Amino acid sequence: MDEERVLYDYYLIYEKTDNAKYISHLDFVRTYNRTMRRAGLPVAFSEGFNPHPLLSFALPLSVGYTSRCELLELKLTEELAEEEIRDRLNAVIPEGIRILSAHRGKSRMKKLRFARYIVTPERVPEDIGGFMALKETVIDKKTKSGVKDTDIRPDIREIRLLSNGRMEMILSAGSDRNLKPDVVVKAMNKYIPGYDSGDCEYHRSAIYDESMNEIN
Amino acid sequence: MSTVNIDKILKRVQKPTRYSGGELNSVVKDPRDVDIRYAFVFPDTYEVGMSHLGMKILYHCLNLRPDTYCERVFAPWIDMEEEMRGANIPLFSIETRTPVREFDFVGVTLQYEMSYTNILNMLDLAGIPLLSRDRGEDAPFVNAGGPCAYNPEPLAEIFDFFTMGEGEEVIGELMDAYREWKAEGGKRIDYLKKIAKIEGIYVPCLYDVEYNKDGTLKSMTPNCPEAKPRIRKRIVENLDGIEYPDKFIVPFMDIVHDRASLEVFRGCVRGCRFCQAGMIYRPIREKSPDRLVKDAECLLASTGYEEISLSSLSTSDYTRFEELADRLLTLTEKEKVGLSLPSLRVDNFGLSLMERVQKVRKSGLTFAPEAGSQRMRDVINKNVSEEDLMRSVGLAFDGGWMTVKLYFMIGLPYETDEDIAGIARLAEKVVERYYASEKTNKRRAPSVNLSVAGFVPKPFTPFQWAGQDSMEALRRKQRLLKDEIKNRHVKYSYHQSDVSVLEGVFARGDRKLNQVLVRAFELGCKLDSWNECFSMDRWRQAFDDCGIDMDFYTRERSYDEIFPWDFVDIGVTKEFMMRENERAKAAVTTPHCRLKCSGCGAASLCADGRCSVYKEESSLRKIEELKNNG
Ligand code: SF4
Ligand code: SF4
Repeated sequence: MDEERVLYDYYLIYEKTDNAKYISHLDFVRTYNRTMRRAGLPVAFSEGFNPHPLLSFALPLSVGYTSRCELLELKLTEELAEEEIRDRLNAVIPEGIRILSAHRGKSRMKKLRFARYIVTPERVPEDIGGFMALKETVIDKKTKSGVKDTDIRPDIREIRLLSNGRMEMILSAGSDRNLKPDVVVKAMNKYIPGYDSGDCEYHRSAIYDESMNEIN
Repeated sequence: MSTVNIDKILKRVQKPTRYSGGELNSVVKDPRDVDIRYAFVFPDTYEVGMSHLGMKILYHCLNLRPDTYCERVFAPWIDMEEEMRGANIPLFSIETRTPVREFDFVGVTLQYEMSYTNILNMLDLAGIPLLSRDRGEDAPFVNAGGPCAYNPEPLAEIFDFFTMGEGEEVIGELMDAYREWKAEGGKRIDYLKKIAKIEGIYVPCLYDVEYNKDGTLKSMTPNCPEAKPRIRKRIVENLDGIEYPDKFIVPFMDIVHDRASLEVFRGCVRGCRFCQAGMIYRPIREKSPDRLVKDAECLLASTGYEEISLSSLSTSDYTRFEELADRLLTLTEKEKVGLSLPSLRVDNFGLSLMERVQKVRKSGLTFAPEAGSQRMRDVINKNVSEEDLMRSVGLAFDGGWMTVKLYFMIGLPYETDEDIAGIARLAEKVVERYYASEKTNKRRAPSVNLSVAGFVPKPFTPFQWAGQDSMEALRRKQRLLKDEIKNRHVKYSYHQSDVSVLEGVFARGDRKLNQVLVRAFELGCKLDSWNECFSMDRWRQAFDDCGIDMDFYTRERSYDEIFPWDFVDIGVTKEFMMRENERAKAAVTTPHCRLKCSGCGAASLCADGRCSVYKEESSLRKIEELKNNG
């Protein structure tokens, strides 16, 4: 990296709803880069053979999930007001994606440890006490080395049944340990006698550090 | 008016953004505010169809009209089709998820023969009767355009009408006629008769077809006064004077051509004798650099694309290429975007410009000598000499390129085994050229990739009379070529031969093939251009079931035969094509339009009877230049 370049750090909190939930992470990166170009923001590019905009994402979102707590870091070559960045992006961003806020500086995304999800199944289980009390919850789960039987219990911090037919889950999140709520639902279908969740909707509503302080 | 709910099934299919819509720059209108709803159908998957420039242009033109809403429709992939059929969801539009059968028009673009079964499958999924005669008064008008529409007969019973030629102007006339017809309160057939009078519109049901005993066409006669005996293609003479999209829809998923493309010109000055595009798009019409730079600026600002490409049949033939490239490079360097030139010909301009263009990517260069021997290149009128090719690849190798791809055809008319062996010799000489240069890095080896396709005779070409090689003959030639290749730096890939035979059957087909298509669809043929879906056995069965012989369509034809497509007037005359075929037999080349007008007939399409190469200042200058260089 060029020592003399002065770059300005920013991070964005954005939401992904409606149709935008079908955009995969990789496609989102391309969509986002093009949005930056359309907005005419002074994006900093990597140097070298194949320059690409400098940005990093906190935690990729699965296809089909909605979220209101997505976080990404970027670098600009000029200093701009936070509101201006937000508004210029929102003016040219595709439907279903919206920048909620822009912030100057580095985010705390390296501290990410947990995420909170709201799951809307067709049917909620009557009781999850038994499920939560299981010593081991083994389910086939995609890992870096292929699909493997994995005990997911250590990565479930909390599950609560909400009054509106939804479930709240707080699960491990980040590059070290990560558990997605659809895997938990799959385990519920396996372990809770007679339970059939049906199709579910998944929404990520917050991300936290080790001590459950929200990262935003 | 209704819409379909696909939320549930989208969760279960691969690549849901093929169907989910909401892409940037897709047009949003309230269907209640318009009089005409037009479903533009691309009969292949989203990623193929979204790459197609013609669709972007017509989508833009139709949506400029306040009275019309044009939406997109693509062929669902197999998994999505299963989900849709399982849940009883009919084929729908991307923009508003409206069932296609509720539209006023269903317009299909015909880009390649192997997409024909997809059309039937899509009509079936839409719940629209497959055959024109079975459609009721409420059904949409199912119509087609695009290059394959120039021989519409294999689809004549499926479509209600066809548009011959460029659509920008005629599409508006069709919409105006629709409004008039609605106001008049006429029947379906009244609309069809009304538009039969518009230049470029062909309504198949208004013609009766008779055959000779041997199965060849005897006559094709209009059966009502509105139908014209000959249908003349439409062209737009001044491309600077018409609309070009200032926005492209920016897809979420990766599509085949995901960039801002500029249409530099239409037509081609060269007359390669196998090439249908070179004939049907005549005469050449260029856009000005001013307009192209403006188009580029608009598209970059509205899409955020990181790459611009130039689109045309032979981009480096553009008269003001240096000026255009220079101005576009100034723009792309400022905006930090790339510029890519697909049909690059190094010999037309200096290496320094090429280096500026492809600064970062030295991935590969392509050349299309098409034939291995000079004699054969003269037969097909590909005016590229071995010297030209060696100079071009030499420049590329010296400039650091390691890989070149060479395109060839086998099964060409008047071809001998020596011509095929010539392909291997030429490729070896390219490898030798690498090692002969002082500038190339000898520690690394070049790779020369041969892409070899079986020749398919197409209507409206000087080779439209030629016989097409059988699969056996093609396979023998492939083996021959393979055995001839002895250099390990030469790699060889071949296109499936049974696909080219089918392509040839439909390219030069007649009305009798409609039933074969319907049968093939019933037997499950679809997505035939995807290897994983194509089954020649099913196709053979479809032909057998209909009692139709493929060899009838691939045979050599005589000059006195009436062709099913003869009623279409593309400007270029049948006499010219015969003349060209005779010259091919004698291996005599014909100079391109800028060197000398060969009187092909296309000039008659221009208002004053002269082609633009003989009236525009920049073109005239180019002609002077060419003359001075001998
Ligand atoms: S250069 Fe030849 S092959 Fe290419 S478009 Fe023109 S006529 Fe066809
Ligand atoms: S009329 Fe002459 S200049 Fe025009 S396209 Fe034909 S050969 Fe070329």
